[in-house]
Amino acid sequence: MSITLTIDGKKIIADEGMTILNVATQNGIKIPNLCYDGRVELYGACGLCTVEVEGIPKLLRACSTKVSDGMVVHTQTERVKASRKVALELLLSDHTGDCVAPCSKACPAGTDCQGYVGLIANGEYTEAVKLIKEKLPLPASIGRICPHPCEKQCRRQYVDEPISIAFLKSFVADMDLLGDTYTPTIEPDTNKKVAIIGGGPAGLTSAYFLRKQGHSVTVFEQMPKMGGMLRYGIPEYRLPKAVLDKEIKLIEDMGVTLKNNVNIGKDTTFEEIKNDFDATLVAIGAWNSSKMRVQGEDLRGVWGGIDFLREVALGNKPTIGKNVAVCGGGNTAMDACRVAVRLGAENVYVIYRRTKDEMPADPQEILESEEEGVVYKFLTNPIEFTGENGKLNGVILQKMELGEPDESGRRRPVAIEGATEEIALDSVIMAIGQYPNLTGFETLEATRKNTISADESRFTTLLDGVFAVGDATNKGADIAIAAIGEAQKASVVIDRYLNGETVGYKKPYFVERDSKSIDYSKFEKVARAKMPHMTPADRKTNFKEVNFGFTEEMAKKEANRCLECGCHDYFECKLISYANDYDVKPSRFAGEKHNRNQENANDLIARNTDKCILCGLCVRVCEEVMGKSAIGLINRGFNTFVEPELGKPLKETACIACGQCVALCPTGALREKTSFTKSVPVKENSKISICTNCSNLCSVDFRYIGSTVTRALPVDNGILCKGGRFSVLNEQKNTTDIDALLKNDVIVISGKVSTETVFVLKKYAEENKKQIFTIAKGTDANYYAISRLNIPQYNGECENAIETSNYCENGTFFDKYGNKRVQNAIYNGESLAEYVNSKLNKPYSDLTAEAEKAVNATPTGKVTNEEIINASKLF
Amino acid sequence: MKIAVGQGSCGIAAGAMKTYEILNSNLDLNKNQLTVTGCIGMCYLEPIVDVYACDGLHRFVKVNGEIAEKIATAINNNDLTSVKEFEISNDDKQFLDKQTRIALRHCGVINPEIIEDYTNDDGYKALNKVLTTMSPEDVIEEIKVSGLAGRGGAGFPTWFKWNAARQSTGDKKYLICNADEGDPGAFMDRAVIEGDPHNLIEGMLIGAYAIGASEAIVYVRAEYPLAIRRLQNAIDQAMAKGFIGQNIMGTDFSCDFRIKAGAGAFVCGEETALIESLEGSRGMPRLKPPFPAQSGYWHKPSNINNVETFANVSWIILNGGNAFSSMGTENSKGTKVFALTGKIKRGGLVEIPMGKTLRDVIFDIGGGIKNDKNFKAVQMGGPSGGCIPEELLDTVIDYKALSQTGAIMGSGGMVVMDDSTCMVEMARFFLDFTAKESCGKCVHCRLGTKRMLEILTRITEGNGKEDDIELLEELCLAIKDGALCGLGQTAPNPVLTTLKYFKNEYIEHIVDKKCTAHECTSLLRYEINADACKGCTLCAKKCPVGAISGTVKNPHKIDMAQCIKCGNCVSVCRFNAVEVK
Repeated sequence: MSITLTIDGKKIIADEGMTILNVATQNGIKIPNLCYDGRVELYGACGLCTVEVEGIPKLLRACSTKVSDGMVVHTQTERVKASRKVALELLLSDHTGDCVAPCSKACPAGTDCQGYVGLIANGEYTEAVKLIKEKLPLPASIGRICPHPCEKQCRRQYVDEPISIAFLKSFVADMDLLGDTYTPTIEPDTNKKVAIIGGGPAGLTSAYFLRKQGHSVTVFEQMPKMGGMLRYGIPEYRLPKAVLDKEIKLIEDMGVTLKNNVNIGKDTTFEEIKNDFDATLVAIGAWNSSKMRVQGEDLRGVWGGIDFLREVALGNKPTIGKNVAVCGGGNTAMDACRVAVRLGAENVYVIYRRTKDEMPADPQEILESEEEGVVYKFLTNPIEFTGENGKLNGVILQKMELGEPDESGRRRPVAIEGATEEIALDSVIMAIGQYPNLTGFETLEATRKNTISADESRFTTLLDGVFAVGDATNKGADIAIAAIGEAQKASVVIDRYLNGETVGYKKPYFVERDSKSIDYSKFEKVARAKMPHMTPADRKTNFKEVNFGFTEEMAKKEANRCLECGCHDYFECKLISYANDYDVKPSRFAGEKHNRNQENANDLIARNTDKCILCGLCVRVCEEVMGKSAIGLINRGFNTFVEPELGKPLKETACIACGQCVALCPTGALREKTSFTKSVPVKENSKISICTNCSNLCSVDFRYIGSTVTRALPVDNGILCKGGRFSVLNEQKNTTDIDALLKNDVIVISGKVSTETVFVLKKYAEENKKQIFTIAKGTDANYYAISRLNIPQYNGECENAIETSNYCENGTFFDKYGNKRVQNAIYNGESLAEYVNSKLNKPYSDLTAEAEKAVNATPTGKVTNEEIINASKLF
Repeated sequence: MKIAVGQGSCGIAAGAMKTYEILNSNLDLNKNQLTVTGCIGMCYLEPIVDVYACDGLHRFVKVNGEIAEKIATAINNNDLTSVKEFEISNDDKQFLDKQTRIALRHCGVINPEIIEDYTNDDGYKALNKVLTTMSPEDVIEEIKVSGLAGRGGAGFPTWFKWNAARQSTGDKKYLICNADEGDPGAFMDRAVIEGDPHNLIEGMLIGAYAIGASEAIVYVRAEYPLAIRRLQNAIDQAMAKGFIGQNIMGTDFSCDFRIKAGAGAFVCGEETALIESLEGSRGMPRLKPPFPAQSGYWHKPSNINNVETFANVSWIILNGGNAFSSMGTENSKGTKVFALTGKIKRGGLVEIPMGKTLRDVIFDIGGGIKNDKNFKAVQMGGPSGGCIPEELLDTVIDYKALSQTGAIMGSGGMVVMDDSTCMVEMARFFLDFTAKESCGKCVHCRLGTKRMLEILTRITEGNGKEDDIELLEELCLAIKDGALCGLGQTAPNPVLTTLKYFKNEYIEHIVDKKCTAHECTSLLRYEINADACKGCTLCAKKCPVGAISGTVKNPHKIDMAQCIKCGNCVSVCRFNAVEVK
């Protein structure tokens, strides 16, 4: 009987006896739930599906409340939302794990480090580059020069040393530049015009992402070439400009207009650009060197750090003399001193007022500069640059000692009264900081630091349609990847702006684990890959790239060191998705958290009770649907958890590895072990197909990344057996010497193989005078095809048969009832057929297409008589 | 003479077995009959020995071995005046005299192990009446007239449940008795089963007849071994008499009867969790609807009532529903049994008509507060209930009136607190109970009670945060709204009521880091008043951790860094010089 009810103001006609949840779902109204599944009995544990029904004071669970005529349901009231939020916060207050790995969270651009490192480990290079380019379009360049905050957070350091994430990135990006270079799909043209002022890492990044969205993008750059600080601030020996050029070319090839030598204020004005375009992004960087305010700073021979590097990059070979000092302890100072060495300076000093321990520069850079002969003057500070006739000839250094720590935690240098030192110098390079030049941008609001003031989540400025990111904004200069991160986020905001929306970037909520709470002793120590590089003697006289890059073997090995911190269920986890929908703050309820660190699994299923939310779906599906009861709940209250029967290891229980528990698990507490050598949480592609494991014709959702099938999942809440769920994947690993097997006299076709395989093998048997049999049963998928081709039944007694089934262990074929059938079997009918067909000199792909057409003609995959006859005519 | 020794669990715990032994070996058993009986309700006076002499009942209390010997001699000599001093005082007599006993009418009177004791006192007459003269509908009507409501706590009209189960179609129906009495401090059901098991059986058989059940099951916690033993004995006896089994009393009515011992999970007192447990599954509540009356035990129509509810049934049938409903208030009829415990002078079982006030129970019957301290609050309904402060002592005992205070009638636990009870600690105690007893199924209860407990614990330890009260209130409401079953939905009650009536104590703990009741040891400071201290060194000698220093005849000092707050110094000081702050 039909009834009428109202849900969220929408009149709905529904069948009596249905629940609110079912009716809402059918009508496209989403009610969150974590413990409901139509296949098992109602449970009511999660408390997320609560709704308000007019006239009833209590909140009701939508999963169990039946609809009634005239019922008025509200699914989004403040009370309902508050209740759901508390439920989620409570769940998350005892959820131990990392949604996303610490490396990825540490990356200012949020690149999926664990993802691409894992893909590299599996040899899926193009997929790795695709993944990187979701956030960062210049991986070959950035991988070389990034100070890699990711590696500083890498937990592998607690085992031995962090993963060499940055170099893995440049490795895979280089691989990509060598071969069929990945270019993203570009959305249809939107006819919206975006101007980007500044062709540095931020500008190029925005150009890439906005063009990808189909917008028309023009980049204006004041310098002769694109690349900004990557080109004019980073020396050639660290980042060869040929590499940068290739990456810029890719962006240009996407259809971005690149305009060089455009000086804002001279060649055009900011106003003009702003008026000509629908949106403008200001990403002009910080191109002025900071001064030290020391006497003698205006002498000839005193250089600004980035001014100096720019001169060199422009090919102007500045004269710096024999004795050169660099002031500063950051990476620009390292670049300056090592360039000075390469320009032929004999004595190169680095003047730094603290000690090596406090230096912000990358330790590897410090080491390499020392190898190249740079002399460090630690605990000294210039108090005067001396000179003659306006030309520098030396520096007076104040000697320092370390005092109390300052607000940054570093110990503050304090002058030692009266202790000074003098050094004779030809040049001094001041690498102590940089700031933007805002000339031409006076209409924008400036901060006290003389940077552009921009909203930190929306990147908006005072002017409508003008956005600003990178070194030129807010807190000023930072590392390249930080500017890229802002640019990528700003691109999303600008895209929304162009679509008439004003939604800023919101930092997502993640569950995270205290790095210290992890037991690292279980990991075997493996040394970090050493980047092969030139000897100091070979490199100090030229600007050739110092590093040679990883070999493929090194990269794979290095990538395999990854501890896989991030949750493997991140892309499918319902909990984290709801957590962000409801803007949770579980820290309110911070208290005891489980950290059982349990590893109780079998070969196919991995379990992690610390991520279990006790929805009971696994336990219920195992008992109610599969009738196995291999797992159950034990203990009470807060200490309740899911445990295999009688506390035994899962493999010793009634578990048949159907994977239903995994399929229903809403979080990462249960997952299938994938066929990847290195398990990686990345978004997979999906292809629906039919299981060939037996004659039941189950639909399978094959998940794959690149050329690797990662998982086989049931379709439409269906069931797959262990064979369909897992064996099909393991097939990939089985290879047998087909030539040797073809010497056998008898071919036995199972009912599991595809139609075209039947055709091919029949043909082969005829041509080569082999006997051909089948073990197909009347219920098998291709029984009809097989019998139509008059292939007789096999009695199973011939030792010299080759078998075309998919089920084999250690070279012995078993039938689906587990009976041993044929020795020396080959167990992949498809690959056998492909091989045989190559010997028949007929393109296998033709056959495949024709047979697929025949099979797909009927939705069940069953083939009609007519289709078989047509297909047979191929021979 | 007939001599009866009270041998409920309370009596036995107080030494009634020994008393019985001594009487047994000293009494002249040719002239006297020695027997046992259940709990009379005056647990604080156990062991109790009742002597039925020609001049009436002599009730001896706190009868230890020595007194038992004297009493035996006195009985043998037929001279009870010589042991008059051991008889119950007039004051204590008030305890029973002010009660009206229906459910407990045989408790402490008959021998629960002899069916004839029961049948001689009108036992099984009600069953006979029902089976021979009444239709099931008549029975339900009589119960409806009586106004009997579920005594387990919720107070749902019994006739309604019976009628729903009666109306449900099914080839088999079950009648279940919930004897999983789990509230800390509640022991009404135990007393009924131990003291009058046949009354329960008879009430259940009448219920089974009314709803059409062919099997009756008592779900009783395994922690009640004596109750289980006596009930099984009673079942066997009733079966032998043809009161249980096929064609009961020669009629068409047949009903099997059995006991299921539960493993003692509090949540199994929740009817759907009880059913799960009965079926052999983990005791976790089911979603309602469907209600057990439609789909219960093995998904068959089932009716579940509490022990006390059944204990009233035979009386109602014999005396008529109107007699029952003539007692009580408009909303609540009949009597209610309470287990009176805590800081009360006279603790035990109290059965009074509805409509009396809490003050009547605590002061008139219970005799007021122990050691003449000040009354602070009474916790009604155990961990699911709430506390009621002094200003509401005149609240009448009535389902509606009690729930308006924030507490509930509950199954009858009544824990009295004096001013040495810290209300925050009290709330923490009950939350600790519910958090541990949560079955773990629903999020709100499993994690909500745990987080509430953590917040309460940190408050009692002096680590409370300013917004903790707000957070507690938010959690309380969220849990009430979101929890799946009664256990979770009512778990916040102790916190909500203490927050309602004693918020200042919370604030004091959080802001001033003080516990006025001196119960939260983490917040206590022990100091020696230099003016009062005579320097006797006794406290320093008795301090187990050597935290007290000082020389003879000079004031001593306590090092709070070392002090473990055991309170030894306070108790040994003869000059009241140690002050607890």
